[in-house]
Amino acid sequence: MMRLWPVIAAMFLALGGLSEVAGYEMAPPRAAAWREIAWPFPRDGWPAGRAFRCGTVECGAEVEVYLRPKLGFCNCDSGVADDDEVDRVADVDMISPRFVPLRAGDVVDVADMHGRIRAYRLDGSRTAIGIAVSHRCDLMAVAAQGRGDAARVQRATLAFLGSQEIRNWMTAALEGR
Amino acid sequence: MGGRVTAVCCTFLVVLLANAASAQQKIGDPPEASNMKLVGTNDLQARSAYQPTIHHQDNSWIAYIGHHGGTDDIPDPVNPMTGKPEPNGTSIVDVTDPAHPKYLRHIPGQEGRYEAGGAQMVRICDGKDLPKGDRNAVYMLRTFGSEAHEIWDVADPANPVLITRIGGLKDTHKNFWECSTGIAYLVSGAPDWRTRRMTQIYDLSDPAHPVKIRDFGLPGQEPGATGAVPTELHGPISTGPKGNRVYFGYGTNKGGFLQIVDRDKLLNGPKEPTPDNLTFPEIARMPLSAMNGAHTVFPMPDMPIAEFARDKDGRTRDIVMIVDEAIQNECGEARQMVWFADVTTEARPMMISSYTVPEVSGAFCERGGRFGSHSSNESMAPVYYKKLAFIAFFNAGVRALDIRDPYHPREVGYFIPSITAATDKRCVTIDGKDRCKVAIQTNNVETDERGYIYAVDRANTGLHILELTDAARAAAGLP
Repeated sequence: MMRLWPVIAAMFLALGGLSEVAGYEMAPPRAAAWREIAWPFPRDGWPAGRAFRCGTVECGAEVEVYLRPKLGFCNCDSGVADDDEVDRVADVDMISPRFVPLRAGDVVDVADMHGRIRAYRLDGSRTAIGIAVSHRCDLMAVAAQGRGDAARVQRATLAFLGSQEIRNWMTAALEGR
Repeated sequence: MGGRVTAVCCTFLVVLLANAASAQQKIGDPPEASNMKLVGTNDLQARSAYQPTIHHQDNSWIAYIGHHGGTDDIPDPVNPMTGKPEPNGTSIVDVTDPAHPKYLRHIPGQEGRYEAGGAQMVRICDGKDLPKGDRNAVYMLRTFGSEAHEIWDVADPANPVLITRIGGLKDTHKNFWECSTGIAYLVSGAPDWRTRRMTQIYDLSDPAHPVKIRDFGLPGQEPGATGAVPTELHGPISTGPKGNRVYFGYGTNKGGFLQIVDRDKLLNGPKEPTPDNLTFPEIARMPLSAMNGAHTVFPMPDMPIAEFARDKDGRTRDIVMIVDEAIQNECGEARQMVWFADVTTEARPMMISSYTVPEVSGAFCERGGRFGSHSSNESMAPVYYKKLAFIAFFNAGVRALDIRDPYHPREVGYFIPSITAATDKRCVTIDGKDRCKVAIQTNNVETDERGYIYAVDRANTGLHILELTDAARAAAGLP
């Protein structure tokens, strides 16, 4: 019995360490970890939006998120109806025109708006997330990219979009403010 | 000094506000016009109108007018002829006497509000022109909301009979039908394609028995493709077997381009929707600015250009008029306008000129609703073809352009109809709240062989039948 307690203690320590790592990986990055960067894409049909970057230390991998309103772009009744619509409108094509969906998308709610989210493989080891949510006839398009696991990029992106500052901005932007 | 500056600023502000206020239409105001005048009107049962097509049949002139869906306030307007609420569909109006148009029939469309319902598009072919048509029939091809195309026999326009329906689609729109061959380019949105709108080509030479020829779109839109999805189609216009070209307009108010397609290769080339097969019939693609789309692409081949008459080469030019569609209310987007492309050297089409209504001429950004172009007349009848074009410009009404020199198009007339009690409001969101105004929203325009101009309103004001006067009439060579 006496010889067992160091083993048990070591197991607890190991489990604690693992859960710490998992907790770190699962935890949403702090809003302060994101810093705004210049809109990195050339002018297209829509005005430029806002772009943000989160570093490896804060987000587990470097992640960039690009978001902008597209006013008058959405089907006013059905909203973002399917994954094809996410492929078309979420601005993932600005990161790379060659993107391949990893799987079927899911429904998502962002800033009280309903829509869909989908993960993609880009060139090389990069992954991307496309999100399109709608409010009446208008759309908020979000594209994100990062290296490595798509689930991690998606978690970081959604956590960022859930911050009050970004929710407020999205609401105002869709009102043309 | 400070007081004087303040006074000047206040005066300027008051003048600005007064100007904006005066620009807004009020019920009872007369129409605004230059070289065009109103001949007759019909309220179209206060239904939001899209494509008008005017057809000469049995010594009568009949206007077939497609409708968008109803509004939030009135989803299904009452048809006074039946006394029942009916989802917006197709209005059939006898315009033989344009001063007294007579409403004959409303064929209900798909349930749904605004663009989600109705029966927007309509084209007409006589049975005697179609290779396998019933010689006594007059066929009306229309969309049924977003989900189907229908063909009706409208030989008796007051009692149309449904012949065929092609259904199971996700977003129908601006079709084209060649009456001499029966080939129809149906803007459809096949369920498995990655775009809302693409082309399904059918042989409708026997309207009772449609034969599918192929699906067509841009590489990247086809089923199973990955990556970026090219801009969706708005509508094509074919020059038929003789011209052997189909001009496709893509985009609405963004990312537009003109695609020039070899009709014979399109109809008879390999049909499996692979990237290679979709590229095979394409001759050229001319992009617009990413801030503009192509609603209507109207071909005018072999136009003699007076300025080039003494040149050894290039005296005639193949011209395509490209009309963008404004979408946002109160100038909430880049200006949508009219462009002219010289496509004489097809592989190198070039934009040569443009036209827009000067905003300041009517403070149109302040009036409410959309300001910008939407569509042009599509009749190729000699009365106006390659001479005058008519552009629906939403709150700036109908604009008549002298296009005989497409390098220098110039406006020769306009007509902005009065609003009525039926005219629907148009809103923008300010600080989270709707702010609405009422303005005319001339949506589509068509002409007939007699020279009458038919303008219809998206905001439920109805049909306005117009004619040219003075300098505009002279420009068209009309007596």
